[in-house]
Amino acid sequence: MNGIIFDIQHFSIYDGPGIRTTVFMKGCSLDCAWCHNPESISSKKEVQTYFFKCIGCGRCFEVCPQNAHKVTADGRLYDRELCLQCGTCTDNCYSGAIIMTGGEMSVKKVVEEVSRDILFYKDSDGGVTVSGGEPLLQPEFVKKLLIELKNAEIHTAVDTAGNVPFSSIETVLPYTDLFLYDIKAMDTEIHKKFTGVGNDRILKNLKQLSSFGVPIRIRIPVIPGVNAKLDEIKKMADFLSKFENIEAVEPLAYHSLGAGKLESMGAEGERPVFEVPKRKLMVEIYDLLEAKGLKVIRKSS
Amino acid sequence: MHICMLHSRSKLIIIGLVIRFKEENMNSKLSYQDRLNSIRKLKSIHTLQKQEIYGTDGYWDMDDKGLIPPPGNWSFEPETNTPDGRFIGNFLCGKNYRKLLDTHPIYINPMSSLAGGWMYSFFDIKSPLWDDKYDYSHLHEIQKKYDLVPGIGGIQHFNVDMHMGLALGFGGLLEKVNKYAEINKGEADDFYEAEKTVLIGIQNIIKRHAEAAIEMAEIEEQPEIKKSLLKMAEANINIVSKPPSTFYEAVQWTSWFLVIAVMYNFSGAGGAIDEYLYPFYLADKNAGNITDEEAIFHLACLLVKDNQYYQICGTKSDGGDKTNELSFFMIEAAHRIKVPTSICLRVHKNINPDIMKLSVKYLFEDKLGTPAYIGDESMNEGFVKNGFSMELARTRAKTGCHWCALPGSEYTLNDIVKISLLAVFDVALRDYYNNLPVNPSANGLYENFARHLKIAVETIAEGIDFHIKYMKNIFPELVLNLLCHGPIEKGGDISSGTVDYYNMCVDGTGIATVADSFGAIEVMVGTDKEFSWDSLMSLLDTDFVNAERERLMLDSVAKYGSGGSGSDEFAVRISKTFTSIVKEKPTPGGRNMIPGLFSWANTIPMGKAVGASPNGRKAYAPINHGANPHPGFSKADSPTGLANAVVSVQPGYGNTAPLQLEFDPHFGIDEGGVDLVASFISTFMAMGGTLLNINIVDKEKILAAHKEPEKFPNLIVRVTGFSAYFASLSKDFRQLVVDRIVDGL
Repeated sequence: MNGIIFDIQHFSIYDGPGIRTTVFMKGCSLDCAWCHNPESISSKKEVQTYFFKCIGCGRCFEVCPQNAHKVTADGRLYDRELCLQCGTCTDNCYSGAIIMTGGEMSVKKVVEEVSRDILFYKDSDGGVTVSGGEPLLQPEFVKKLLIELKNAEIHTAVDTAGNVPFSSIETVLPYTDLFLYDIKAMDTEIHKKFTGVGNDRILKNLKQLSSFGVPIRIRIPVIPGVNAKLDEIKKMADFLSKFENIEAVEPLAYHSLGAGKLESMGAEGERPVFEVPKRKLMVEIYDLLEAKGLKVIRKSS
Repeated sequence: MHICMLHSRSKLIIIGLVIRFKEENMNSKLSYQDRLNSIRKLKSIHTLQKQEIYGTDGYWDMDDKGLIPPPGNWSFEPETNTPDGRFIGNFLCGKNYRKLLDTHPIYINPMSSLAGGWMYSFFDIKSPLWDDKYDYSHLHEIQKKYDLVPGIGGIQHFNVDMHMGLALGFGGLLEKVNKYAEINKGEADDFYEAEKTVLIGIQNIIKRHAEAAIEMAEIEEQPEIKKSLLKMAEANINIVSKPPSTFYEAVQWTSWFLVIAVMYNFSGAGGAIDEYLYPFYLADKNAGNITDEEAIFHLACLLVKDNQYYQICGTKSDGGDKTNELSFFMIEAAHRIKVPTSICLRVHKNINPDIMKLSVKYLFEDKLGTPAYIGDESMNEGFVKNGFSMELARTRAKTGCHWCALPGSEYTLNDIVKISLLAVFDVALRDYYNNLPVNPSANGLYENFARHLKIAVETIAEGIDFHIKYMKNIFPELVLNLLCHGPIEKGGDISSGTVDYYNMCVDGTGIATVADSFGAIEVMVGTDKEFSWDSLMSLLDTDFVNAERERLMLDSVAKYGSGGSGSDEFAVRISKTFTSIVKEKPTPGGRNMIPGLFSWANTIPMGKAVGASPNGRKAYAPINHGANPHPGFSKADSPTGLANAVVSVQPGYGNTAPLQLEFDPHFGIDEGGVDLVASFISTFMAMGGTLLNINIVDKEKILAAHKEPEKFPNLIVRVTGFSAYFASLSKDFRQLVVDRIVDGL
């Protein structure tokens, strides 16, 4: 069985405890306005373009069966409407100007790759995190992967936004040592405005997940103009403080590193631009959450 | 800033320039940290001056050393004995060095507790690396063919036995020399005379400094500095002849020996300092004669005296942890003085976790690239494979860029002998192409590479024997011999066979460049048949002109470091082949050779010697750094990817193949970051890694510093095995460092 994956990142130190490798699954059931991995949203393979790397060899023009690559009076043009995402141009581009994001990998291949760092996991109490996109859109693959990892005595974490049927969470639950669970907004209308869906199922799933007693680390993307307000965080804190197995809360300051990727996907300007939250606000958020008895993972920047 | 010139009452001695900073009111007390801050500021001034005087076009692609710019009115002219105005041999090396010691300006910074400094690089001037009287032209052709760095004429790069020096003192060493001069009378008189004159010169210069310290104390107005100068004078008077009896005297003694050694020929073997100074510290501490703060201060003053290579921690002969208070103090001292230093922490499975965490904490806070880390178990187990005991292996201290040596009993030419695997590959490739078999392949080329590599190693081995036979006649190790077991007893320079162990270090360089080249040929010429052998050679010979796409095709083949690729397999194979050839037999003269993988600062010049290579490298571009994969070996060049790669190519006989790594500074500040890095280091060593150099550097800062280095005069980076001010490096070298750092971050 294969999974659709768009990246495997070694030495991940922000996706769970210890030194980890993060497997990024492609496809998401949300469409967050601030997403810094926009290539994760579609479950299909996608062409990304970085034309500043182009060396002008012209091979993409020659090989494209759809004539999607052209030279016009305004310079080179890549017509995404015509593109079949067949990968012929990306296979022939060696400069990195055109790349294909996303591809199928078997469980065996993934395990082979992540196992290279097994000694680092063991010494640092790290392991493997399955993230995305939304990994639980491919629950059977993730389950099989986690089983293999547990057989190799590797600590497992699943990073989910929770917007999936609970049965998908149950599928992976027995093989997951830690859940990383996103909470973006307590107000369902705000949630819907900025992610495309309300938060009812997400909050309900969290409650149900918590009843199983598995450790959960809550991740809160802090986005000015969305949820970067102390009253909103306070609502989250009140909600979360009721659960006994929230091992930590991790507020994550918005960053704009995804902007370049939007351009590479021909989606420049299609998403709002947010501000980076000020350091003072982040510290206030950390303090507020801690005052509610929650353990907080603080970042220096 | 207050500058004062002192003139001795004696007509014979010129006292040098003394600069002090008078930043506070004379009546306010200076703390140890105030004094260290003052010393550091002065060093910054010296560094800028040195670049102007000694650098090439104002740059200096070497260790930042403690060399102090001499006063403008001082000069030194040695006596010569060669037709072209140089000097060689025991007699003139001894006589000239004695003259240098006798006329060397006094250097006392009253802010420091340690007298002395060095202002002249003795071996650089007039004294050659070799003399044509000892002709090895029969080796030239092959040495040139493979761009070998044969090490003939190589100096120092071995460790001394500080225990012996501290036990005997300079007076005791002189007695020893006189004793054996008498025993071996008529056999090595010029050698003993040379050693004797150097020792007397050492005693003289110490005495002059003691007298100068008294003169300075007489006019010093700041009470604690006055007191410090008087104590300095007393300590120095005591150690002229007697062995040191206190911790302070032992540090001053160590400082003098190391300054004298580095001035002689750039020696940097500071040794296992937490071991040899510990009895002095313990005695003083138990007697209530020293505080920890004072001890740290003296060590910090020592660290700024010169950028010597010190080892801390490791294991005792029974395997127990050797970490003690001085191990912590050395880390603390480096943290307080904040200049380029080269402390190496010897990691083992039972190491005190607190010192690991403290060292990593300061690594991130100070961003000075110190300490480095060496793997105790991997180094010991490797050395044992040469036929030595584990007890002996545990004494082999890290005292150089990438190397260890037994104290006072092992001669090595460490870090001096280099075989450019890329140059050998290039010869092999052209030879193979010119005699292309019916079914050419990457494997067939590899067999040819191994054949040429064998010739290169055999030529190196001959060169080593040649060096050992004749070096004693060129530039004997008159300072370091004194703290070795054998040279004085037997009446001969260490290079000539008078110590017990000759383990000659033979380093391969450019493994990633070669492995990736093999990998590219295997895929692009072999499997995918994108190129023929003819078209490949044409691309290389034209340096990919009008063929950037083709170059990128070759470059796109999965590299060494990517994990499980053909290039990875070739890298392992190259390391094994190189190791087996080096270990197959000793030199013709019977000297053991030990392989390593380290380029030192030769990354640029070795690249300049070879044209374009099949991995897509442009002609004359640098080879890879040490054992590191080329930057861009994976999407993100992760630290674990680098570690896995470098572990896979360890030769495993007790010399290193270091990993050079960069971390973002924020990582160490975030909760748990220090623990993760400490864990990473321990795991790397447990996997078989030998040496790890870490830079903590902000990507934006390094790019800005590369653009305008003069705006970042205090930015220190760990370049390869050594630390240097980034601004002092040449543009080419800075680019090399930037390429590696930026890709890694």
